[in-house]
Amino acid sequence: MDYRYSDIDTLRSLLSNNETTPESLFKEAKSLAHKYQSSINPFVTIVDEYQKESSNSYIDGIPYALKDNFSTKGMLTTASSNIMKDYVPVYDSTVYKKLKEAGAVLVGKTVLDELAMGGTGTTGHTGIVKNPWDLSRMIGGSSAGSAASVALGIVPFAIGSDTGDSIRKPAAFGGVVGFKPTYGRISRYGLFAFASSLDHVGCFSRIVKDAAIITDILKGRDKYDMTSLSDDDKVYSELLNNDICGKKLFYFKDICNPEYYKDSNDEILLKTLEEFHNTIEKCREIGFIVDEVPFKKDLLTAIYPTYMIISCAEATSNNANLTGIQFGPRAEGDNINDIMFNARTRGFSELIKRRFILGSFILQKENQEKFFLNASRVRRMIVDDMNKLFEEYDGLIMPASGGIAPHFDEASDRLSDRYLILENHLDIGNFGGYPSITIPSGFVDNMPIAINITGRQKEDDWVLNMAYKIEAKLGFKGQIAGGEDNV
Amino acid sequence: MVTKEKLKSYASKLMFDMDDAEYEILLSEFDVILRQIELINKIDNISDVKPMTFPFLDYERELREDKIEESLEIDEVLLNAKFKVNDQVKVPKVVE
Repeated sequence: MDYRYSDIDTLRSLLSNNETTPESLFKEAKSLAHKYQSSINPFVTIVDEYQKESSNSYIDGIPYALKDNFSTKGMLTTASSNIMKDYVPVYDSTVYKKLKEAGAVLVGKTVLDELAMGGTGTTGHTGIVKNPWDLSRMIGGSSAGSAASVALGIVPFAIGSDTGDSIRKPAAFGGVVGFKPTYGRISRYGLFAFASSLDHVGCFSRIVKDAAIITDILKGRDKYDMTSLSDDDKVYSELLNNDICGKKLFYFKDICNPEYYKDSNDEILLKTLEEFHNTIEKCREIGFIVDEVPFKKDLLTAIYPTYMIISCAEATSNNANLTGIQFGPRAEGDNINDIMFNARTRGFSELIKRRFILGSFILQKENQEKFFLNASRVRRMIVDDMNKLFEEYDGLIMPASGGIAPHFDEASDRLSDRYLILENHLDIGNFGGYPSITIPSGFVDNMPIAINITGRQKEDDWVLNMAYKIEAKLGFKGQIAGGEDNV
Repeated sequence: MVTKEKLKSYASKLMFDMDDAEYEILLSEFDVILRQIELINKIDNISDVKPMTFPFLDYERELREDKIEESLEIDEVLLNAKFKVNDQVKVPKVVE
């Protein structure tokens, strides 16, 4: 039987009626994982043997994939970096532990941009991840393999991490749902830290309801993560049908206006914005009030450099323990400093080293005020202005990207408004820890596009509810890359 | 002004090195990055604002009791170390 289009409800029904078994679902998923591994490369590790704990949970027996920066005891966890290529964790991340206890079946650990520090899906040590919709294009990152595994129908859900859009952007490029809950909603214990004040745990799925089901399983206070939130005692998957009539959404004026880019000959951008406005009309048809709202342009253009400064500075510190001494490839050297120097020189890719050097530059005493502290001030200014808007509005709705998944050899002007704002506004969700979800909203040039909805802190239930209603209206739920013919 | 020598010194503090071609790439990246960073420094009244290092504005830091709980066994802790002697990671002599 072809399970690729099946959501969690369907699989639960099949399992409960004994029309399939967990082992059969695992074997099918494993077969698909191997089928697409050479063409798309979603996985670092494909699990060989079926393993499952018994459980009465709703996701008992459901197969899934896990980004390879989550610790899995006894199973290779590489963060897609050569400096971790042989690392086998001695403990489970809380996410993996909860999914095991819920009876979910791990199919594989997925490729990411090295150490989660990237947005293309091209920097993992086991190779690039291709976009299943068009193999000449990237799927984005850093949670590239997780996005691809869901887009291909290998698994109904996959776990990712999101520091500056690393779930929500590849979801957009892959034509699937990507949900980043409120900061701390899901424990980060056992997630390799990238930038601790920005890191979030979230998931991919093909429908909003499945994202709600998984978040219900994973959320809750964890004594091993002191930033984790106490459970809000809500069942998100049972709140999806709440009435959204009269709920107010806003988008950034000017930035989403095609007229603003009329001198650009970027056809893809103009088509994407046209589709965005069609989506806005559909939102109004189902009862949302949607306004265009001005937001300080200097803050919007500062989003990307603010993210780069904070994330590179925090990452440089977080990855200082990767030395090849207590774990990692042991390099040669006459003394301990030489061993660490050689391990780090060989173990990190050149791109990661460049990011770390930027982080070190930012943290030099003479630069801290002008760069790191000023970026942290801009973060507060953006969050303050967003919180003022959230006093009146229930959510921000925006195009998830200014276009479609780029080709691998495509360059972009990193100082243009399109790049600085439309490609990076999702970072706002990380600055303020807001719940934020990307859902497919159509196609441009046969490639998926998406919208993103970001809500108030701790209102994960409302963000999922609003996305569920919009998803139903738009009609792109449950799609598989390439459709029946697949890749 | 950022020079190749300064970049090398930052790399050295981080205990790694790159080849010359990579330093050249990084120099040209710095050119773009510093122009982006200038967008931050142009924002009015920025110095009046308190830096934000955590996403929530109203977070209460709590402390827990320092209770002894189960932890990892020594052989688990050392599982990924390539060179070990008894319950220690082995490295070259520090003091000659």
